[in-house]
This record gives sequence, structure tokens and C-alpha cells, in this order.
Amino acid sequence: MIPLQISPFQYVANGVVFSSIIVLAAIGLSLVYSIADFANFAHGDLMTVGAFSALFSVGFFRPMLGDAGVFGLPLWFFLALAFGMGAAAVISVVTNRVVYRPVKDSGSIGLLISSIGVALVYRALVFLSFGTEPERYGVPRQGPVPWVRETLGIAVTPRNLVVVALTVVLVTALHLTLTRTTLGRKMRATADNADLARVSGIRTSEVIFAMWLIGGALAAAGGVFLGLEELVRPRMGFDILLIVFAAVILGGIGSVYGAMLGGLVIGMVHELVPLFDQLGVPLVSTPYAEAVAFVIMVVILLVRPSGIAGDSG
Amino acid sequence: MSAVTSWVRETLVRDATERRIFAALGLITVLLVVGVLTGVVGLRFLLFQIALVGMYALLSLGLNVQWGYAGLINFSVAAFWGIGAYCAALLTAPNSPLGLGLHPVFGFLAAIVVSAFVAVLIGIPTLRLREDYLAIASLGLAEVIRAIILNERQWTAGSSGISGIPNLMSWLPLTDSATTAAIVVFLIAVVYLFLRRVHRSPWGRVLRTIRSDENLAKALGKNTYRFKMQAFVLGSVIMAVAGAFYAHLNLYIDPSDLVPLTTFYIWIAVILGGTGSNRGAVVGAAVVIAIREGTRFLNDIGFIQTLGVDLAPLRLLFVGGLIILIMRFRQDGLLPPKDELIWPAARDGSGAGGASPSGAASDGGASSNGGDDR
Repeated sequence: MIPLQISPFQYVANGVVFSSIIVLAAIGLSLVYSIADFANFAHGDLMTVGAFSALFSVGFFRPMLGDAGVFGLPLWFFLALAFGMGAAAVISVVTNRVVYRPVKDSGSIGLLISSIGVALVYRALVFLSFGTEPERYGVPRQGPVPWVRETLGIAVTPRNLVVVALTVVLVTALHLTLTRTTLGRKMRATADNADLARVSGIRTSEVIFAMWLIGGALAAAGGVFLGLEELVRPRMGFDILLIVFAAVILGGIGSVYGAMLGGLVIGMVHELVPLFDQLGVPLVSTPYAEAVAFVIMVVILLVRPSGIAGDSG
Repeated sequence: MSAVTSWVRETLVRDATERRIFAALGLITVLLVVGVLTGVVGLRFLLFQIALVGMYALLSLGLNVQWGYAGLINFSVAAFWGIGAYCAALLTAPNSPLGLGLHPVFGFLAAIVVSAFVAVLIGIPTLRLREDYLAIASLGLAEVIRAIILNERQWTAGSSGISGIPNLMSWLPLTDSATTAAIVVFLIAVVYLFLRRVHRSPWGRVLRTIRSDENLAKALGKNTYRFKMQAFVLGSVIMAVAGAFYAHLNLYIDPSDLVPLTTFYIWIAVILGGTGSNRGAVVGAAVVIAIREGTRFLNDIGFIQTLGVDLAPLRLLFVGGLIILIMRFRQDGLLPPKDELIWPAARDGSGAGGASPSGAASDGGASSNGGDDR
């Protein structure tokens, strides 16, 4: 039974998957915004770096582990994901040390412009090491999960479920870190008022280190999931950066929880665009999915520039 | 003759570093002239490059108004350039989708009007907010405009591009390349003199104040939003004029040059040249073209071809690395603005002559303002 018209729930399901990716990216971007206090334009390309690091590690994890699998995905994919997250975390810490820290005195604008340079360098290095062609992780093709199809009439593959489940795990882990651990309290204090935190005896340099580590790892997770759902392309991160920024602004710049909410909304809207098209709303056709994110962002800036959860404009 | 040298000394070259930079530029010019005379470099090719450098210089001057004067971060330089180029191409090329074949004047007029309109549209939501909102929104705008040009084939011909754009002023008794080179030199002269005039005016002083401390400007009763909007529109219009000129220089336009990398080339030109310095913007544009065209030549060298290295990513690496290095080691750029912001009469009257205070590079105004009041 092939439905002639795709069920609206299908778009919602796609939206949840895409939202997961945006949420992961938006959290990292928002963390940098709140603690390092600049708009990091290299965040998208950091996602790309994470995705390609994972791709690189597939080369030796796959022969090592064979085709053994869990949750419908081969085991090597999970190891590659972990490797990508680790690599991106290390790279973002090193980048902070080499590039951002020395220009800290020039303020958030100097850091912003430097981050453009970092983005270009990341992308150039990906081009140089992996070429310009889109790649795949090589996870075997899977059909939709039968019971979801029968009960809801929508196609959800096991990898969709894994992406969403792992996102929930990562976001919960971050939430617990922020609220239940000393490090999390230090991070929130530093984000709130770095000078006050320093006076209170918090080593803010350690907090910033942890922030880059977490932000990089989450960005890489988003990148790997994006590569799993679509293709691993050298421009994938930069192409998605605008949507991630829209999510961060919608959530309120610097607010991690706002970024989660913003990512959910923007990701959902992005995937619902074809539905609008189906309903006959003119001009909003699929090539303009990115433009829709942009329009939402402009509307937020006009109506409520501090975002949903933000407190400062 | 001595009048000329003293003019050069006063307006262009003021200290040892600058003398070295201009000496290097002079040397390159001499080499190029020798190259043309000996036939190594084709005259036609050289004139085309001059026109291209001029086009980049115009773009850099436009960005300098926004970033250098007012501190506005515009990442959609390529989009405003594209708006200008497409306005010119669509209205003047007989075989464009619109098929109008109008006089180039209309192309330039449309470029100015449309770019001003788009600049106002993007300025309204962003210019009241912190400066990084404009950075994010303008990057989005650039992608949206590129998407529109790529997808609305019935109006813009999409990725196949528009050809058959007429030459400018072909009635002049010069070759086509000489005419375009002359036109761009004229355009730069007009824009340069105009910008120097407005930068020294009260309007320019308010902008410099906004750049260094917007709250101070507000406290002085200035409507900073309006001033920022004016600077943003002015810069965008200059970029669109550069784009319209490019359409008539290249005689063909497609969306491939509207990528963000084009924008970052202009950013390098401005920050390398010296933020806020119009001389710097022109010199920076020349350096950027040298990089771009220089790496293109590398492609032709057999040795590098045998290595099998794709040069596009190397160029990307170079651009990115250069941005990082400038921001770290030479934020003032090569030719930071100095007392060029002061009326010559005021400078002579102060008795300090050309030796004005150093420093005050990025936030331009502070010390030179002092000189102004003396």
C-alpha cells in the first residue's frame, strides 16, 4: 500500500529527526555565545569536521567489528560517532587555544571575524583530505520499521529512531551536567557573569575549556547524524549554519534551553515546508526551505529580538 | 613637480612603513609596465585586470563605509554586488529573460534603487540590535538572494547565466578594455573623493563616534539607528554599482560568483588594507586580486599540475588563514587611517604637520577628532 499523498504525520516525523540535528548544533553554538560571548561562524564547519572525522574512523572500525549491530545499526557506526565527537571536541579546544584566545582582547567582533577564517580553514582542510565529492557512511539501507508503519501509516527507519533517541540521551546528559554537577554550576555562573564568577574563585579558563569540549562534541554528533540521514558533504555544516543561527536567535542568544526549543521549532518548520507547498501556499517551495528559516529569523528580530528564553537583546 | 611630490607626501605616504608599502606597489607597477613593453604581459589582459582591481576596490570602499566607518558587519557583499550585476544584465542584455536591451544607464539606476531598497529591508530588523545580528542576518540574506537567482529561472536564467551584456560607452575612441579601465578609474575617483568628503563631515564624525561607542553617540542625542541605516545603504549602493560595472566588464554573469567566498575576499581587502581607511581599501583590493589571479596562474604551471593538487581548497585555506593572521597580528592593516580624517587646513593650523598621533587605528576617530578641534 503506497499512499498517493504523503501523510502530514510523515512530515512531522521527518521534522522530529531534523530538529534533533538542529538542537544538537544549536546547543553548542549557544554555549559558545553565552560563555565565550561571540557568534561562532565556524560552528557549522565544525559539524562537518566531526562528520568527516567519523567517516575517517569508519575505515578501521568497520573491518575490526564486522557487521555486528545493535538497534538496527552496525556497531561500528556508534564507535565512529564517538570518534567523530571526540575529534571535534579536541579540534575545537585546540582552535580556541591557537586562534580565539590570542585575539580575545579585540572583543566579540574580532572573535566573530576570526571565526570566519576558522570556518574557511576547516572547510579547506576537509576538501584537501577527503575531496569534494559527497560520501556515505555505508550503513546498509533499511526499510521502515513495520509496526510504526502499520499503526501510524508513516515510514520511520531504525536510523531515524537512533538519531532521535541518541539526541534525547545527549540533551538529557547535558541537562544533568548543567544542573547537578559542580562543573555545570560553574558554567552557568560564568555564562551569567564571567567577572563575578572569576571573583568567586571559579577558574573560568577551565569552564571555557569544558564549554569548547562539550560544544564541539555536540556539533559533531549533529554533523554525523546529518551525514547519516543525508550525505556527508564538505559544505553540509556551512549550509545548515543559518538554520542553526535562526534556532539560537529564536531561543534567545546564549540560552541553552532556549536553543533546544528554538532548534525543535525551526527544524520542524524546515521540514514542514513541503506540506505548505502541498496545501498550495505559494512561493514556499522546497528550494526555499532555507529562506523560510531566514524569514522566521527576521520576524523574530522584529517582534522579539531577545527570543523565547533570552533576557538581553 | 615639487607640488606633486608634496601632495603625495601629504595625502598618501606619511611614514616609513607606508613608504615601503607604496614603494612595493610602485615596483610592481614598473614591472607590469616593463612586462607590457616587452610583450610578456598582454596590454588587453593588463587592462582587464586593472578594471577588475578597480571593481574590487569599489566593493572594498563600499564595505569600508559600513564596517570601517560605522562598524556594521555586512556578510552579504556578494549579494549586493550580485543585485547590481543582475540589474545591469537583465535590463541591458537583449537576450536576457526580460529581453529589454535598455541603455546601460538604466541598469545602473536600477542597481542603485534595488540595492538601496534591499539594504533598508535588512537594516530595519537588525540595525537597532547588537552588531552580530546584522552579521547573521546578512549572511542569510546572501544565501536567500543566491537561491532566488538560481531558482527563478523565468526571470534570471538561473545557473545558465546571462550573456550578451553590451560594452559601456563603445563610442569612445578606445579599445573596449581601455574604456572599461578608464570608467572604473573614474568611478573610483568619484567614490573616493565623495567618501573622503563625507567622512570628514559632521555625518562622518557621528559615524566614527558610533563605531567606537554607540551609547556615547546616543547620549549626545544622535539617532544612531538612522546614521547606521544611512551608512549601510550608502555602502550597499556602492557595492551594487561595482556589480553593475562588473556585468559590463565581464559581459556575462551567472550566480556562481555570489558565493560567500566573494564576500570574504572583500573582507580581507578591507581589514588587510586597514579598517576605516579608503587608501587601504584600494590597496587591499589590489592585493586580493593579486592573490586570486596569482593562484590561477599556479594552475597553469606544469609542475603543480603533476602534483595533482586541486587549487580551489588551497585558496580557501589561504583566505581563511589570512583572516586569522590579520586579526591576530596586524589588526590595523597595512594602511590604517590616520590624519586623513582631518581637514588639511586644520592639520596645518595645528602646527603638528603630518606627524599626527599614532594609535587610534581601528576606532579611527578618537585622536584625530582631537586634532580636528585644535
